[in-house]
Amino acid sequence: MLNFLEKHLPKIVIAPTTLAMIVCMYGFILWTGLLSFTKSRMMPQWEYVGFEQYIRLFENPRWHVALDNLAVFLILFIAISLALGLLLAIFLDQKIRNEGVIRTIYLYPMAISFIVTGTAWKWILNPGLGIEKIFRDMGFLDFEFRWLVEQDMAIYTIVIAAVWQSSGFVMAMFLAGLRGVDDNLVKAAKIDGASTFRSYWHVILPIMRPVFFSAVVILTHIAIKSFDLVQALTGGGPGYSSDLPANFMYTFAFNRAQMGLGAASAMVMLFGVLAVLIPYLYSELRERET
Amino acid sequence: MGHIQLNNVCKSFGTTEVLKNINLDIQDGELLILIGPSGCGKSTLMNLIAGLEEITSGNIVISGSDVSDKSPKDRDIAMVFQSYALYPTMNVARNISFGLEMRKVPKDEQENTVNRVAEMLQIDHLLDRKPGQLSGGQRQRVAMGRALARSPKAFLFDEPLSNLDAKLRVEMRTEIKKLHHRLGTTIVYVTHDQVEAMTLATRIAVLKDGVIQQLGTPYEIYNDPANHFVADFMGSPGMNFVECVVFEDKLIIESGSQNYQLAIPCSDAVKRSNLESVILGIRPEMLTDPKPHENNPYVHEVEFNVEVIEPMGADTIAIGKWNGVEVQGRLSPESGETAAKGFRLQVDTSKAIAFDPRTGQRVR
Amino acid sequence: MIADKFSSINFGRILIYSILIFFAFIYLAPLYVMFSTSLKDIEEIRSGNLLALPNDPTLYAWAKAWSSACTGSECKGLAPFFWNSVKIVFPAVIISTIIGAFNGYVLSKWKFKGSELFFGALLFGCFIPFQVILLPMAILLSKLGLSNTVSGLVLVHVIYGVAFTTLFFRNYYIGISTELVRAARLDGAGFFDIFRHIFLPISTPIFVVTIIWQFTQIWNDFLFGVVYSGAGTQPITVALNNLVNTSVGGKEYNVDMAAAIIAALPTLIVYVFAGKYFVRGLTAGAVKG
Repeated sequence: MLNFLEKHLPKIVIAPTTLAMIVCMYGFILWTGLLSFTKSRMMPQWEYVGFEQYIRLFENPRWHVALDNLAVFLILFIAISLALGLLLAIFLDQKIRNEGVIRTIYLYPMAISFIVTGTAWKWILNPGLGIEKIFRDMGFLDFEFRWLVEQDMAIYTIVIAAVWQSSGFVMAMFLAGLRGVDDNLVKAAKIDGASTFRSYWHVILPIMRPVFFSAVVILTHIAIKSFDLVQALTGGGPGYSSDLPANFMYTFAFNRAQMGLGAASAMVMLFGVLAVLIPYLYSELRERET
Repeated sequence: MGHIQLNNVCKSFGTTEVLKNINLDIQDGELLILIGPSGCGKSTLMNLIAGLEEITSGNIVISGSDVSDKSPKDRDIAMVFQSYALYPTMNVARNISFGLEMRKVPKDEQENTVNRVAEMLQIDHLLDRKPGQLSGGQRQRVAMGRALARSPKAFLFDEPLSNLDAKLRVEMRTEIKKLHHRLGTTIVYVTHDQVEAMTLATRIAVLKDGVIQQLGTPYEIYNDPANHFVADFMGSPGMNFVECVVFEDKLIIESGSQNYQLAIPCSDAVKRSNLESVILGIRPEMLTDPKPHENNPYVHEVEFNVEVIEPMGADTIAIGKWNGVEVQGRLSPESGETAAKGFRLQVDTSKAIAFDPRTGQRVR
Repeated sequence: MIADKFSSINFGRILIYSILIFFAFIYLAPLYVMFSTSLKDIEEIRSGNLLALPNDPTLYAWAKAWSSACTGSECKGLAPFFWNSVKIVFPAVIISTIIGAFNGYVLSKWKFKGSELFFGALLFGCFIPFQVILLPMAILLSKLGLSNTVSGLVLVHVIYGVAFTTLFFRNYYIGISTELVRAARLDGAGFFDIFRHIFLPISTPIFVVTIIWQFTQIWNDFLFGVVYSGAGTQPITVALNNLVNTSVGGKEYNVDMAAAIIAALPTLIVYVFAGKYFVRGLTAGAVKG
């Protein structure tokens, strides 16, 4: 008996996590998946309705707004964060004095919650008292900056706040990547007559491809899950013009008692993440094997 | 005491068989060397004896009791690891006493043991240091000290010297040999270094692809190898292998653009085998400068075109060709200096052996 | 010629420094705006400029945000919710870290058939959008009688935090020689002995990384907080959001900003004092995940 216990101790230690994982991750995903095929509203009702919830979902204009917003948000957020993060990382990698202090400043927003970020930017972007007023005080009396309350522009305020929060992190990732590049490689490129710019472009950046890859995956992940930022900054408004899928899901599942529809939207989100994640994990695993 | 028997031991990982039907009877007080190229299964075999991995089939008996299903701590065996595996946060004294502590040996007894072992290994001045503050050689000693502390039935050494520099390795090798003489405890010792194997072993087991190729004393392994692989693996510089046509009971070689007929001790067996050609195996030290000898039928003199000279200090390696294949001879440093085309090489075939070219097995 | 080269190098350096410092100001600006706004009175906010320093600094907004601002129907400030967050964060961080340490120890040093599969499956959990588990979890919590309770939130944070803590510890322990475990087993040490005497003493850095990561994640969480908490158990992020969106009378931006800083302060302090470990957690959790 004692021997048995000893032999299986590792499995016993891991058992609670296994149970929680099977039930609360995979079981729940399955449950949500099943729910999305029912007509559940306030409470789960196990009446099968096929793809009706998905059809309703994709017929809902609000969902389309959320998807369009996600596309805009994803593209701009990722592109700007990558560009800014890479630029700052390269500049910081030039043997800068007080590098530590500057790095700390770039990265601190990452320690703050999206709710705080949203609250702060809501005030900074305040039409009337925010940035608009700064410029008017400077003498540009006709200056207008009211994206926060403009239907077409509200989503861009979310991009601004999200970039402010996450680009420092991208910088940190690139900086770590740059530090990992063999110094001799740069020297070799210099000896071969490459300028600083060319040695970065042709030698260093290609080596950093995995970092790009990881950064894109992480930023996508942040973007698809971001819910708090929208909630705090625009509340999805004006109207529902700045909703993201996560906000859509929350609103329908919890505020409007449309469980089936909420479940369907959650499943679509899951598949969105998987579409990015699976190729990434696949290539990671293959790399590890070789 | 430390009598270890392995009976038909097999080990597979998934579908790959790493060890195939290993039978070993390691006598009490013996220093058995397991040697072979990397991936031959020698480390796995050691882990099986230690109980760190489970055997797939067969059994392991230590001092009369079957330990196949016992956990490592119940086998009363100590091990010295290649990386030393010293506990990084404990000082040297606690590293040595940890095994005793786990076995609930009284404190004062632990202390005595630590002192005794530390003195024996001349590390008593290091007892308060952490492993990170020690040199490679010192770490090696501490690792041995940890093994010695418990006075186990047997020691397992897993390539213990491979992380040391060349000079220290030779020193520690001697030290281990002395230690073995002094303690008389059974040691199973894994290495890939054939010099270590030759100098330390009471017996050597040569492994390849999970099969024991030969088990014997260093003398047997060196002079009477079971097959081409063992002959090739042991010895530095390695044995010369030249495929030769059999002519009656002699082997024909072409050296310095002339043909010679070499007599070999196993000529009867070669004849019996009806092989048209065999692989002649002859160690470099049998290819020398001409020396006086008394009409020995196995001593030949052949013309040798020396292509490369490699002075080693005590002797000089001369490389030329027989039958178009490179062979090495061991010349005195003096004749090495002057050796060139048309050098007269003395070939002593009294210890030459022959292998079947198809199977690599000895012809005998 | 030499002088020429010198000045061009200097020019390049100056450009780089200017850009870096410019961005440092950009990143700092929101924090500065929050802070200066929180010290102004509402008159000054309306008449003055976002970037101006407060003329006559006052702690009125801080006091109100902490103890009397309205967060929905109640007007007790953020204080009770701050303590709610503390009550959620501490047990959740401690429990998830301990579980993660043992899981990581097993997954790196006591592998068994299927343990790699388990790890892969768990890793996947770091990536799922939590929206997909929100509904069933709500039902499970109500079945367990933990709806709208602090314990319920602790449970949720532990369950979905363990994937990360396990990943951290596993990746740390995997770098430690397996021969150490073997040596200890031959020395007669068991599973827990080895953990206590060999692994625990070298684990301080990874404990710090994990605790900081979990602390930041759970303190900053909004999604679980807003879905699973009740009126009296809301964490500070939810309360802050309610405070900002509750407009009784005029909008008090200074109170909003003071409240935002209060909500951000604990994680900011941790970041300032242990930034190195925070960054390590970010990159470990992100890149390896």
